[in-house]
Amino acid sequence: MLALLPQLIVSGIATGMLYALVALSMTVGYRATTVVNFGHGDLVMIGGYACFVLGVNLGLPFAPAFSIAAALLFAIGFLIQRLLMQPIIAGPHLSLAMMALAVGYAFRGAARLEWGNDILKLPHPYPTATFFVGGVVFTMDDLVISGFVLLLLLVLFLLFNATPIGKVIQAVFQSQRGAALVGINVRAFHGVMWGAGAALGAAGGVLLALIVPLTPDIGVWTLVRGFAAMTLGGFGSLPGAVIGGMILGIAEKVLGFYVSTVFIDITAYLVTILVLLIRPKGLFGQQATIRI
Amino acid sequence: MSGAARHAPVTAGARAASKLGRLFWLVPLLLLPVPLFLDQYQQYVANLVLVYVPVGVGFNVVVGNLGLLAFSNVAFFGIGAYTSGILMLKLGLPWWATVFPAGVMGGIAGSAASVPALRGVRLFYLAIMTLAFGELMRWVYIRWEPLTGGSFGMAVPTPSAFGWSLDAESHKFYAFLVLATAVIALTNRLLRSRFGRAFMAIRGNEEAAAAMGIPTDRYILLGFAWGGFAVGIAGSMYAALVGHLSPPSFDLSELILEFAIVMVGGLGSLLGSVVGAVVLTAAPEFFRDFPGFEELVFGVLIVAVILFLPRGLASLLARAHPALRDRYYRE
Repeated sequence: MLALLPQLIVSGIATGMLYALVALSMTVGYRATTVVNFGHGDLVMIGGYACFVLGVNLGLPFAPAFSIAAALLFAIGFLIQRLLMQPIIAGPHLSLAMMALAVGYAFRGAARLEWGNDILKLPHPYPTATFFVGGVVFTMDDLVISGFVLLLLLVLFLLFNATPIGKVIQAVFQSQRGAALVGINVRAFHGVMWGAGAALGAAGGVLLALIVPLTPDIGVWTLVRGFAAMTLGGFGSLPGAVIGGMILGIAEKVLGFYVSTVFIDITAYLVTILVLLIRPKGLFGQQATIRI
Repeated sequence: MSGAARHAPVTAGARAASKLGRLFWLVPLLLLPVPLFLDQYQQYVANLVLVYVPVGVGFNVVVGNLGLLAFSNVAFFGIGAYTSGILMLKLGLPWWATVFPAGVMGGIAGSAASVPALRGVRLFYLAIMTLAFGELMRWVYIRWEPLTGGSFGMAVPTPSAFGWSLDAESHKFYAFLVLATAVIALTNRLLRSRFGRAFMAIRGNEEAAAAMGIPTDRYILLGFAWGGFAVGIAGSMYAALVGHLSPPSFDLSELILEFAIVMVGGLGSLLGSVVGAVVLTAAPEFFRDFPGFEELVFGVLIVAVILFLPRGLASLLARAHPALRDRYYRE
């Protein structure tokens, strides 16, 4: 029994990297606007479908299909922020959350109308192979996804912490009015950051579509796991999103194998509830709650 | 202090509303002959509308009046429905005897869902947590097979009330009409009392409400419990109406329907919840042949309402007559 543990951890990390990618893309949007995008899972889903249409239906090679899908999602994210979120940005959080949720629903409905319950799968752009290291199996997917996520984490971390853009992001996160006073174009910034979050979400959708079948409902699945990873790592923390995703992935596999298969499905929910009840700021987050 | 100011300020709207309040009881009476004009299917849809009236009313108390981002409403609905179903199937209770227990279970679930809110979890965190709670409940229905029948669902016995079998849709209509009216009337009492005013204060500014000595925790717990109770009763009605409960009935698309009812009807408006239920409940029946269309339409509809009619259809009604103006919700 215990001999399988290393294998479970490895495949847990591989799955967790996907959650991490979703959580990273949500963190980018959150850090920019302090608004959590409840429709983000559906943007991930649309990103996967966009790449599928470009790559399979139109026959483009993988790299251009991937890039165009990401660019398209950037535009969609930007437009959602500018046309739908910006007009109510000063309103109650309830409206903001509902708006994002409703936009996501509309996308899901559109995807279901077009693709119904077809189960689509993206062809692999790289040779699929498996490696054995000391009795543990790695697949090419594991390596590609983990590599991509770690690289992305590095790029985002540098962008957020070591560039002037990072200072702008921090300024807007702390005080939008203050940022506007020192000459930062907060509106344009919000739009661009939502676009960036959506584009990263699209990257997540494409990688997801390589290993699991694409369905319109994949958005909810990703949203819940992205939230759980973000919550566990701490809202707004980039390394936290990745580590949270990895822990979630490992926990799903290990609990699912040793305790009960139920845990494969419910770990994300349990993690979300327990972390928010016991330690709302997560592992690396800033203070998150209002106490009265 | 002058004599006029000592009395509660009586505005034209309030006076007209109290006159209208007495007319409230006429509405269910006027609805009594409705089953005479409907065929079997139309009657089913009318019953479904009555199921969703308490759903909207209960949800609106938490989301609209308390102003808390809680997405756990579908869980209360499911818990109410399964409580009724299980009590009827396993204990052989008649349906009428399960309605109140279903409401109580919904209320208990509501109190449980308020725990994070009481611990200071707010905004998106609360939304995520309550969403997780709702989804977790769906897994409970799937996995607790001996009681719930798992993913295949459970067949609910024919409902009966006080010895009468409610096997025809029109019979259910009268039972549902009584329950929906009771929930509306009781919620109206609640919102008109100091509880409703406390909700309004909490919604407006929680810190200020707490500073004024309002025990915000107690009112939040109460709001959640009442919301859960109303929605639990709706769940019991749902079980009696459809006769078959299965986990997919309580998934996220159910949540969007309930959201749409509250948002399109009017956030924080009792009248709005009723209007929203009437307008939107029938919609999924029309879209059944086009999977995805419902989600698309509801999504676009909610977006449009938030952008162009933030107070929903109730605000249009309020423009028509001052008595219909909502007094428990201020911007």
